[in-house]
Amino acid sequence: MKFRGKIIDVACLNHFTRVITTISKLTKMCVLRLTPDNLFFVLSGKVANGGVSMWCELSQANFFDEYQMEGVSSEDNEICLEVTPENLSRALKTVQNAKAVKVKLTKKHCPCLTIAAELPTLSSASRVVTHDVPVDVIPRRLWHEFKEPNMPDFDVSIYLPPLKTMKNIVDRMKNLSNFLVIEANLNGEMNLKIETDLVSVTTHFKDLGNPPWGDDASQDGGASQSRDPEAMVEARVDIRRLQQFLMGQQVNPSKAMCNIVHQRVVHLILLHEDVSLQYFIPAVA
Amino acid sequence: MKCVLEGNGVKAFGKAIHALSRIGEDLWLDPMVKGLALRSVNVAHSAYSCFLFSPLFFQHYSLGSASEQGNETIKCKLVMKSVLPLFRCLTSIERSVERCQISLSASSDQVIIQFFCRHGITKTHNLRFQESEALQAVFASHLCPNVVKAPARLLGDMVMHFPASQEEITLSMTPLRVSLRNYYEGGNDHMRTMYTEMSLHPDEFDYFQVGMESDITFCLKELRGFLSFAESHCLPVSVHFGAAGKPVCFSMEDMVLEATVVLATLIDSENSGPSQPTGTPVSSPRCADAAALTVVSHGADSTKPQDTPAVTELIASSQGSPIIKPPALIQLLPQTDNPDGLGVPGEACAGATTTPASTTICSLLFRALSSEQDDDGCAARLPVLACYSDTEEDMEGDYTRSPSL
Repeated sequence: MKFRGKIIDVACLNHFTRVITTISKLTKMCVLRLTPDNLFFVLSGKVANGGVSMWCELSQANFFDEYQMEGVSSEDNEICLEVTPENLSRALKTVQNAKAVKVKLTKKHCPCLTIAAELPTLSSASRVVTHDVPVDVIPRRLWHEFKEPNMPDFDVSIYLPPLKTMKNIVDRMKNLSNFLVIEANLNGEMNLKIETDLVSVTTHFKDLGNPPWGDDASQDGGASQSRDPEAMVEARVDIRRLQQFLMGQQVNPSKAMCNIVHQRVVHLILLHEDVSLQYFIPAVA
Repeated sequence: MKCVLEGNGVKAFGKAIHALSRIGEDLWLDPMVKGLALRSVNVAHSAYSCFLFSPLFFQHYSLGSASEQGNETIKCKLVMKSVLPLFRCLTSIERSVERCQISLSASSDQVIIQFFCRHGITKTHNLRFQESEALQAVFASHLCPNVVKAPARLLGDMVMHFPASQEEITLSMTPLRVSLRNYYEGGNDHMRTMYTEMSLHPDEFDYFQVGMESDITFCLKELRGFLSFAESHCLPVSVHFGAAGKPVCFSMEDMVLEATVVLATLIDSENSGPSQPTGTPVSSPRCADAAALTVVSHGADSTKPQDTPAVTELIASSQGSPIIKPPALIQLLPQTDNPDGLGVPGEACAGATTTPASTTICSLLFRALSSEQDDDGCAARLPVLACYSDTEEDMEGDYTRSPSL
């Protein structure tokens, strides 16, 4: 298994760092899948992390100037590593002004992703910084746990309001309740509701717009057309999961959407030019 | 002693206190003729820092009259927790404090710190202090084979690659390269920790002298406040050190102040990066290990072997610390007559420590500050702590141990 990548462009490095920092705010550990064309950061939904799962896809060509990899074998030309994204984020943050940053898979005291950079200085010689981020290689037999998730058979899909606004609201609601209900309809309306014995609070959003997925998006072809646009579909989620998602966002996405499967799951999708991030929060009773 | 600081001086003073608070839990105020010294020592006696503000730093600086003070120096020890909050928010101090007055007298047991703020507001803080002899690290910096002087931001830029939680760090020096790497002592996390190494060319330093190649490991946390002070005042920092096990001294100075941090270093010199230490693993951060310390003011420990350095070598870097006339100090110390002995503090330490050699930090050699010398040059009477005698000093160093040491 081999991997070597090099980032030269300062903006690419910056963007890459911000993506990894966002991931680090969502989860302590995740799986990094390397393929010839893409990098994926994957978190599979397990009871331990409250059933949330995450899928983040980056196209390597948009970030790396040089990218070479050799997977486990020629049929399975992929590398799967378990990594702590916060370590990667910390390492990358210190080398933002580097002339070039190399990322390599190495074996030091254990398998590591080594981030090596040359930093410019006033004198002729340059400074060299190396960070060895320990990783765990995931054996092939477990790869099936980290596949791309299927688009759920959602009932409603809606564009999200500005994430900052949502975050402010959710932050305050968190003080009142542990659970929040997200409901939306095909008329571009979304509500965030909390309800306790003493108080219930609802925030209404209007005119959000619904993504034009079309018939092929929903497997259950007929249902979406016959759905009453005013009818609300809802899911009740752990508010901390939603807050965690909103807290981590560092960049404004070009598109931010939410798919809801009634009382089953909330599927959040953020699309940037070269990165897509999907986050699944299961509904609770 | 009474001194008045104004405007930016208050902020600098506060920043010094921040830096000192990273070292120890107590703050010694030591007013001297050459200025006001602030000192702190950590519990394990493996880190020491001193900020000396010369009288020029203050708008007004006066020691009490001779009659008031008599022969006593004021030995003022404050709890850091009571001083730090006064200077905690430097930005608001910058905005609202016009003047700060600090008064201290031997007769009362209070330090009075007054902030004269905008809009005619005056905040007065009375802090009780303990009479306690300050300690001062013994460090012969001119004997150090390795000396580098780094421009203001360089050290800060070097340590920023390491997380704020990083305890210990290893500095390696060869004629071709200076490098810093983090140090972990093994244990469960050994496989999971992130290793960082950064290296640079000696050209980046203002002054670079390598007498011997060495790797020293010391506590980074205790140094950060000092580095931040250096950066904010754009002062270059000098580093003096020798082989592993000997202390390292960071110092900076300008026209009105001098500051030092002396840190003990790990003795285990064959450690390099992530290798496992040979000694017993210790769960607490190494720097906080209380290795046995040669605190020379402890007259009680007179059974120790002659391992204290000749006085002439004391604080040669002289960060504002008073140099004691040789006879007086030798009188006190277990070692009596070795005026030619150029005992280097590090070696002395190594002999004195009792913890397993491979895991010991060579702790710093301390001695007590003594009072200013009598003018006639006769043997100085080292003052006894006030709780034992009010007015008379005992001769011959019947020196009582400070309860806090």
